[in-house]
Amino acid sequence: MSSFLVALAPLLVVGLGGLLLMLGEAFAHRERGGSGPSADLAIGSFVTLAAGAVVAFSLWLVGPENLGGAAGVAPFLIIDRFTLFFDIVLCVGGALAALLAGGYLPEHKLDRGEFYPLLIFSTLGAMVLASAGDLLSLFIGLETMSLGVYALVGFRRGSARSAEGAVKYFLLGSFAAALLLYGGAMLYGATGHTDLAGIGAALRGGTLTGADYGLAIVAMVLVLAGLAFKVSAVPFHMWTPDAYEGAPTPATSFMAVAVKSAAFATLLRVLVSAFGDPASMSWGTGWPPVVALLAVMTMTVANLVAGRQESVKRMLAYSSIAHAGYLLVAVVALMTQPGIAQGSILFYLLAYTVSTAGAFGALILCGSRGKEAVSYEDLAGIGHRHPVAAAAFALFLLSLTGVPPTAGFFAKLYVVRAAIGGGFLPLAILLLLNSVVAAYYYLRVLVYMYMREPAPGAPVAAPMRSGYVTAALLICAAGVMLLGLWPTRSLELAIDAALAAR
Amino acid sequence: MLSTIKQQFPATNFALLALILLMPALGALINGLFGKRMGKDAVRLTALASIGGSFLASLVTFIVVASEPGSRVTWTAWRWFSVTGRMRQDVGIDLAFSADGLSATMLLIVTGVGFLIHLYSTGYMAKDKGFHRFFAYLNLFIFAMLTLVLGDNMAVMFIGWEGVGLASYLLIGFWYEDEKKAAAGKKAFIVNRIGDFGLIMAMVLLVWYSGSLRFEDMQQRSSGLLTQVTLWPVTDLHQTIMPHWLASALTPASPWRVSAATLIGIFLFLGCAGKSAQIPLYVWLPDAMAGPTPVSALIHAATMVTAGVYLVARTSFVFVLSPAALTIVQTTGALTALFAASIAFAQTDLKKVLAYSTVSQLGFMFIGVGSGAFGAGMFHVITHAFFKGCLFLCAGSVIHAMHHRIHDDVASQDMRNMGGLRRYLPLTHATFLLSCIAIAGIPPLAGFWSKDEILFRAFASHIAPATAAVWVPPVWWGKMIFFVGLTAAVCTAFYMFRAYFLTFWGEFRGWRVVANFRPKKHGGHGHGAGALAGPPPHESPGVMTVPLVILAALAVVGGFLYAEPIHVAPLAHVLEPVFQKASQSVIVPEAAHGLVWPLMGAGVLAGVVGVAAAYYVYQVRGGAPARAFATSTGWFYRLVRDKWRIDELYQHTIVAATNAVAETAAAFDRWVIDGIIARLTAGTVALGGALLRAAHTGRVQVYAASMVAGVVGVGWFLVRPHADALVDTSGLRASGRVSLTAASGHGYSYRWRTADDDESVAYGHDKSYAVDLELCEKRTVYLGVKNAFNQAAERKYDLCRDANVPRAPGSQEAAACCSLDDAGRETAREWVRSKLKELDETQKRLEETKRAPEGLLKSLEQRGIKVEQLPGAPPAPQPPSQGPGGRP
Repeated sequence: MSSFLVALAPLLVVGLGGLLLMLGEAFAHRERGGSGPSADLAIGSFVTLAAGAVVAFSLWLVGPENLGGAAGVAPFLIIDRFTLFFDIVLCVGGALAALLAGGYLPEHKLDRGEFYPLLIFSTLGAMVLASAGDLLSLFIGLETMSLGVYALVGFRRGSARSAEGAVKYFLLGSFAAALLLYGGAMLYGATGHTDLAGIGAALRGGTLTGADYGLAIVAMVLVLAGLAFKVSAVPFHMWTPDAYEGAPTPATSFMAVAVKSAAFATLLRVLVSAFGDPASMSWGTGWPPVVALLAVMTMTVANLVAGRQESVKRMLAYSSIAHAGYLLVAVVALMTQPGIAQGSILFYLLAYTVSTAGAFGALILCGSRGKEAVSYEDLAGIGHRHPVAAAAFALFLLSLTGVPPTAGFFAKLYVVRAAIGGGFLPLAILLLLNSVVAAYYYLRVLVYMYMREPAPGAPVAAPMRSGYVTAALLICAAGVMLLGLWPTRSLELAIDAALAAR
Repeated sequence: MLSTIKQQFPATNFALLALILLMPALGALINGLFGKRMGKDAVRLTALASIGGSFLASLVTFIVVASEPGSRVTWTAWRWFSVTGRMRQDVGIDLAFSADGLSATMLLIVTGVGFLIHLYSTGYMAKDKGFHRFFAYLNLFIFAMLTLVLGDNMAVMFIGWEGVGLASYLLIGFWYEDEKKAAAGKKAFIVNRIGDFGLIMAMVLLVWYSGSLRFEDMQQRSSGLLTQVTLWPVTDLHQTIMPHWLASALTPASPWRVSAATLIGIFLFLGCAGKSAQIPLYVWLPDAMAGPTPVSALIHAATMVTAGVYLVARTSFVFVLSPAALTIVQTTGALTALFAASIAFAQTDLKKVLAYSTVSQLGFMFIGVGSGAFGAGMFHVITHAFFKGCLFLCAGSVIHAMHHRIHDDVASQDMRNMGGLRRYLPLTHATFLLSCIAIAGIPPLAGFWSKDEILFRAFASHIAPATAAVWVPPVWWGKMIFFVGLTAAVCTAFYMFRAYFLTFWGEFRGWRVVANFRPKKHGGHGHGAGALAGPPPHESPGVMTVPLVILAALAVVGGFLYAEPIHVAPLAHVLEPVFQKASQSVIVPEAAHGLVWPLMGAGVLAGVVGVAAAYYVYQVRGGAPARAFATSTGWFYRLVRDKWRIDELYQHTIVAATNAVAETAAAFDRWVIDGIIARLTAGTVALGGALLRAAHTGRVQVYAASMVAGVVGVGWFLVRPHADALVDTSGLRASGRVSLTAASGHGYSYRWRTADDDESVAYGHDKSYAVDLELCEKRTVYLGVKNAFNQAAERKYDLCRDANVPRAPGSQEAAACCSLDDAGRETAREWVRSKLKELDETQKRLEETKRAPEGLLKSLEQRGIKVEQLPGAPPAPQPPSQGPGGRP
């Protein structure tokens, strides 16, 4: 029994922490005019989520294979290195979002306590999703995560844009969830299993009848579509810019980082465990050509459209879609190089988490209430008005561009290496060409920050100052540089975490 | 003393290199973060101390390296990352730095000249509000440049390479308020990206073919670079999805192959041409003069732009393997030298003249390294750093003085507003004159020795090809280069002295600004054609003139560091060992040594002619011939003045094409995504979308429709049957066997048939199929699949085993038989069969002759004569298990 609890410790720590914070907030007596709930809750949430990451890391050190209780929760929750790696990534993403919120919410008069429990329980859902080895727990995790995020997107109640983004996200998210659920039902119908491993074994076994195979193929279509929505692959991406732009920036950061990572985690698990048989993984008729096409469309469309954006936040939204496209390239490489491809995806997500959270954090720091940094023009000359925010922004954008020696460079390098090693040279070349296009709009921010002065009379963004946000930026910057200067070790960890192919 | 240092810093852990790097980095950090609060004095002190300290450490390093010719010192920080090589081996890439003779010399130049220019800048920039920012950038630049020079492998070097680029853009756009200057920074950025693409490609290829990125290892394993690389076709096009006729049209008769060294050399040079402003990527450098003048002196004349030359010298072992690549380097250098010099003729902006002069001089350096004279090319880098650094600083001093009168950035750089300045700026004048003499190539100043050595080597030396198959340029090519270089040298002397006479002689013209100088906004308020009130120009302060004097002195005596013809070449002992391996392939014929002095005479004459012509045109005749030339050949003059309109050409071709692509993408977004999809789906949505319409938020319907389209697309793809097979032709050449493996799918059954079988062959579960082909035989295999939905698809595979045959019976011309038509192929098969038969018979005869000596030996032995081994005969009889001379 106790070992059971140990195996689930990261989930329990985060869940209990969230409950305690919610209780504490409910009974807190605040003086009028005193500091808002963010002052306590941001730190509390950060500590809770960081504790989740630390616990997950200690389980990693112990080794999940040594945890007796891990088998007890299988196949609903699978506690392996893959799960623990994602627990860490998700907790870090959530913790960074909590810190960003600690600065952002009071500044923008959004200081309401419910933000933090929503954030924590979403993270919990994401962690469940990443460890789910069964379609049922997968769906529960997905919905736990999504419901919280829908609310977070609509958190700026006064803003029409926020409400619009939330409703769009919710409607389309339900649609995608329905597709996924329907696909799951069909899989059960075809194979008689809801656990991913069982589905995989049934498909591999070759004992199904022709009609069952037909059902399984349709199910694969629906499941792929549902997951493609969550990773926001083109053409399932349309909700992303609106939701990202409408959401308060810390929530945007959370979505770009944690939600996307969890979606990739479950995509990997489904593709490797359930659809890992030769027929599903066939280059002729399986998911790899579909994913390859999605990857190409996602990269290309997102980058082209991102280049035309005038809003920096929207640009970052499209850029996050583009990064999903790069990751999908590595997903295709799963077909021939499962270990290296997964390692590269995990490393990429880690690097992407710190870079993107940092970029959104720097964007928060560049603007204050009523004087937000929205467009490129707003950022003009910020390099002189707020050198720290500008330098941090520059660092994270360079990492997203993939300039050495930042984390982003090695992330791209490893993905490209996996793609080339797996024999997908055209995809690798397209990825590189796309990064060149991406460099254009990332560096455009730098040009505005350092080489332009605001037009006279134009409203300028007034930088804000916040210890929380600065702390988050420091963590991100340290991550970006550490992964950039010592990438080898982190990659080894990521490869250790890869799911066994079969 | 020396031994103590060596003891303290062993060659493999030479931590002094870390110090050299760290000090400028620290300086940049302090000035960047706290400069605003520290005040100008502290900023100045930090900047100077960090570079000065770095210089002293560099000096120690240089002494250590120079004390033992051919030695190098290394310092490894840590294992950075590793990549997978060609043999699937792990190629480790360390964050490591090393200094050999070449790096140590560059260290001294970078930190030494860097220090002088820092010193100068403290005077030049004294009144600028971005003082601390300027020094932070400048220190950052030094740090990056040192990383570039010290990088032990190409990855580390590349960080420096990008770093100097970054610092350069920051400094070009330093006065970012000015739109034009920011645009110049952008231009430099974009052009350099093209070059970087080449460099990255070169790095990838180097890792692949030499299995390392360390310069040391790459040099040792450079033989791997002789591998032939097939450029086209990259794969058997007939096996791809493209239609047969297209594949045939795209497949050349024989594949296009080059050696890896050539490919790498060309890519490397593309990177070098970007950074070192060679044709066609030179356009950014003249625009880069928008930055403060000390920046032009340090980055765009003395150090960064020579990084390309440094890289070619550093990778000399690659280039000597490919005379073709070297010829490209050499020829590009020569063309750039002449072309840029021609543009410098008609420039009126003093800094622009110097900028084009820099481009031209870089061309000379590339002639040097391209001729295999790596030492001489690097020597020109050094002397150029002295005299061009000095010239730019003099120009800065002149502009500084002019700016006090004419408060206009452009007008104060215009030589038409100068003249007679030798009376006001005596020290600047003297140093400018000395540097002009040096660059014009008048002995015994520095420029003479380096330019002379380059031209001599271009004329005399050639590269010994590593293998017979390697292409070498004709002998007269080097002579052509020599004459182009000589012409460029005349031009150099002419335009430099034109600038000299226009600036320092005659009457001072700055009392009135040239009429209609700036037709745009500044026309009205006092800066127009009228007389100007203001103080007369005056000499710059001491902090600015001291660097001038030091650099001018170096420009005078620097030549004796490497004066080969008179055998005074201390620097040669430091530099030459670095190029030792490369130099083995460079041949200077004995006979050429007699040409040293005559060629030198020609070089001196070129300088003298140029100077004399400039003297006549601009001093004696007061510029009248130049004006006459301008009016008589109006269009030509305008063309030269407008820099041959290359910028406009690029603008209308490359930039316009890029814009067109971007516009198309935007239009696609606007019309197709927003327009068509939105409209197309509107109908669908109106029918069934009551719920969605209730939401009524923007175009969420379109979003949903897009998802539906996605599901339908994915579903259509997966539900449709796909006949697709992996064709393994690895056995085709040897045995004629082709194996096909069908891609599996859920619920699939497969059917293999050839053209002879009819449609009635049944579907089964056999996924693989093999065909054995004779030479020149062609067979068509059909793969049919049927999927879980009982839908069928079929795909055709044309297989053919190729051989070289006569195009027609009796013809001498060869052809690949698979490209022939059916009848031709049948004839070819007959021909091949007969040839095989002949071969068989020959083989039989050969065996018989082989057996003959065995018989002879036996009979000799029977007669009691022992023969150890017949000369030229096969070895003594083998044990019987092998069979007597059996066919393999």
